Amino acid sequence: MKKLSLIAVLLFVVPLLAQTANVKVPDADTLVGAPKGQPLTGDELTRTTQEIASTIRCPVCQGLSIADSPAEMAQNMKAQVRELLSRGYTREQIDSYFERSYGQFVLLAPKFQGVNSLVWTLPILALIFGIFVVFMKMKSLEKAPVADSGNQPPATGNSDDPYLARVRDLVKGDQQ
Amino acid sequence: MNRTVLAFGIVLAAALCAVFYLALGKDPSYIESPLIGKTAPDFALKAVGTGETVDLAKYRGKPVVVNFWATWCHPCWDEHPTLTAVSQTYGDNVQFLGVVFQDDESKITNFLRERGWAYPTLVDERGKTAIAYGVGGVPETFFLNRQGKIVAKYVGPISPDELRTDVAKAMAQ
Repeated sequence: MKKLSLIAVLLFVVPLLAQTANVKVPDADTLVGAPKGQPLTGDELTRTTQEIASTIRCPVCQGLSIADSPAEMAQNMKAQVRELLSRGYTREQIDSYFERSYGQFVLLAPKFQGVNSLVWTLPILALIFGIFVVFMKMKSLEKAPVADSGNQPPATGNSDDPYLARVRDLVKGDQQ
Repeated sequence: MNRTVLAFGIVLAAALCAVFYLALGKDPSYIESPLIGKTAPDFALKAVGTGETVDLAKYRGKPVVVNFWATWCHPCWDEHPTLTAVSQTYGDNVQFLGVVFQDDESKITNFLRERGWAYPTLVDERGKTAIAYGVGGVPETFFLNRQGKIVAKYVGPISPDELRTDVAKAMAQ
């Protein structure tokens, strides 16, 4: 009976284990090289995972990071961040790992390079231009000559405008 | 001064119009894959039904179509007959592989029993293969040439014509 059990194990269980052992998923080693940092553990691992995950975009969500999204895809990616940190991969290597597959789209804050640098510089340039416009306008107002008082309508006195005369009559009537 | 402001406004409006014009007709959810032209990430995953491990590297020298899908994805139901039928027309000249992620193996087995299959369907546990391929949602289909380089990626349910066009790209290189 024991022999039969052993044969059953050899025939079914061992090949099954061998097959499972052969399963291979794309590994960070082949994609971004060997780890360049120290493996993290405990609270530091949890805190750093959360920090990095909050800068990586969930590809199946609308503007959410993988730290904030409950989507399974996001959770898998967050687990991947944790695993890579525990193996000693640095923040830059983890960014590169995801960027290699998804492009810069996956980073919530675009890098300061190429066309993306406009995202950082244009608002500052627009602000400087706005300040310049306001400054120039104020300067031109200061320099503008004081309006000739002769061209101003009289503050008091008669006017030929029948509408104004009518308004004055009405005001006078109210006061009496 | 007013002319400067006007000129600045015109330039800004023209730039915005150009951006909107260039974006017309494009799918905003489509992400250009940085993997195009690069060697496809290697994987060896367990096949549904047989339990065998299927290694992508084994198919080097032959064009390969890798289709990411799931049973909970309705567009995947729509494209399943297309993939099954078209894969049969290529026979051994092109290897088709289905990679299922975020799914239950028993559901996959039932799905394939009901709807039939013509090529290996592999299970991507914890979605690591999908992440390495930059999959943002299913279905997504990748086309690998004989050297194992990704030559095209298709997002969404693929039609027979689109499938043949991308397979032709993989066969040509």
